[in-house]
Amino acid sequence: MRVVIAEDLALLREGLVALLRENQIEVVAQVEDGPGLLRAIAGHKPDLAIVDVRLPPTFSDEGLLAAIEARRRQPALAVLVLSQYVETAYASELVGKDTAGIGYLLKERVGDVRAFLDALHTVAAGGTVLDRQVVAELLAPRDGTTGALSGLTAREREVLALMAEGRSNTAIAESLIVTPGAVEKHITSIFAKLELSACHDDHRRVLAVLAYLRVSS
Amino acid sequence: MVCQALLARRHETIADVSQRARLPISLSLTPGAKPRRWMPTLAAGLSIGEYARSLVRRLALLTAVLLAAIWALSGQGYFWPAWAWLGLGDLVLLDFSASWAWRQPRGAVRRVACVWALVGAAAVILIFTWLLTWLLAGAHTFWPAWALLGLATSGSAYSLIALHDRVLVAHGRRALRARIDMLTRTRRQAVDAQAAELRRIERDLHDGAQARLVALTLQLGRAELRVQEQPEIRGLILDAQREAHHAIAELRDLARGIVPPLLADRGLVAAVESLAARYGLGTAIEVDTRRWLAPAIESAAYFVIAEALTNTAKHACAERSWILLRGEHRMLVVVVGDDGCGGADPSGSGLAGLRARVEALDGSLSVDSTDGSGTILEARLPCG
Repeated sequence: MRVVIAEDLALLREGLVALLRENQIEVVAQVEDGPGLLRAIAGHKPDLAIVDVRLPPTFSDEGLLAAIEARRRQPALAVLVLSQYVETAYASELVGKDTAGIGYLLKERVGDVRAFLDALHTVAAGGTVLDRQVVAELLAPRDGTTGALSGLTAREREVLALMAEGRSNTAIAESLIVTPGAVEKHITSIFAKLELSACHDDHRRVLAVLAYLRVSS
Repeated sequence: MVCQALLARRHETIADVSQRARLPISLSLTPGAKPRRWMPTLAAGLSIGEYARSLVRRLALLTAVLLAAIWALSGQGYFWPAWAWLGLGDLVLLDFSASWAWRQPRGAVRRVACVWALVGAAAVILIFTWLLTWLLAGAHTFWPAWALLGLATSGSAYSLIALHDRVLVAHGRRALRARIDMLTRTRRQAVDAQAAELRRIERDLHDGAQARLVALTLQLGRAELRVQEQPEIRGLILDAQREAHHAIAELRDLARGIVPPLLADRGLVAAVESLAARYGLGTAIEVDTRRWLAPAIESAAYFVIAEALTNTAKHACAERSWILLRGEHRMLVVVVGDDGCGGADPSGSGLAGLRARVEALDGSLSVDSTDGSGTILEARLPCG
């Protein structure tokens, strides 16, 4: 896997480079801003770009805009956007129409090294990974409304959130300390309540969740 | 006898001339006749007073010319018509100065103007009288000097007494206005500086301390991978990582409370849309302004909307909710409304805090919340 990293804080950028190299992932370029990212993907044709939302010079949403532009230029490029805070508006802009190879995670998730590497591989393989906070925010019970999501039980919400993070049934079962069969049952129930057709492919499950979330937000 | 005859002839002549002088007037009064330029008419829309004054002025002019002619015809010699001219000129001068004084604003100013009109007329009369005595009789000393000095002194003394209060009050008012202008400007600068500073702090928290903590958790994560076989050390590392995560979450909440990141990054409209979506009240948003807004105004508008939506979600049981952002002259008008149960307390702590925030920007906040007919909160923020 060939990766480009766009991050302005040197300490974090170097940490990421070291982590990826230790895990046999090739970092072909490190850049500090949006135009640098576009040049790097044009020059190196990487498989994956890891991009910080806030980049110089204005430190607002240049990273996000650069990531979207990079995807427009190279639709096959997988993009993992890291952010200090979760914003559902950013998530839905990033996801756009094509959810393949998209990730949106809180920056601090890099600390959980194994999950972070898993997320990298999922996104690079064309999967979708959303931070559990994005999902939580979208699934949060809302005052004054009785949406379809309010029909889910607390456990079903947990399962849905983990599904949106791109986890497999086995991983969800481990995380919730239940049997894979129980997870299957929850998923069937969720799909029934959300009126989505059930399917077993992980990636397509996330797509289904995302499709639903996009409509509801 | 000769004198009487002369006088009689002169009277006749004056009467004749007056008769002739009136002729064009009577002509001009006849319908269809073209008015003459040198004599205005009643038909031209003059008031009786103005008409009489212009008549007197012209008669004076005619008399002056006539007297000069009589002097020329009666063998010249001592130029006596000059004294008649002086008398006629005084009349006209008094008329002009009095009408000028009358045009001044009522009260002390007009009184002072009247005094100066009299003083001015008297001074001119004095100076001309002296001029005539000098030219006709050869007087050498400038005898009106003391009289002029006296007139000027008394005129000034009267002005000083009459306008003394006005001058002081006007000065006080000017000073007060300048002070208010300065306070308004500096308060606005202080509020703007504070808003800019808060945004800088928010950015520094995200990109400084928080980012360093993230780098720290990454290093800890890498360390943890290498000590899989030493559970004690691994436990310590995981504890440290957990602490770092707590610190990051706290910093994030702190930064969000200062300025919501979307507001700082994308401005008011994007932030309000995200806010409304988060509450899920199906809030309708109408934006009718494209004006650039100062950070302080954006933040105030955002927190007004956030507070209003929180109240709607918590208490209103509303079916409909709406937000309107409108540019009006040099104001940003923010209206947040719902059709819920109403009855919001305008003196409650939340609304009082908002009011203080809005008023610090010279804006105003009004709440209309009668029982059973919804709540409408309107903030007007100056943004010129």
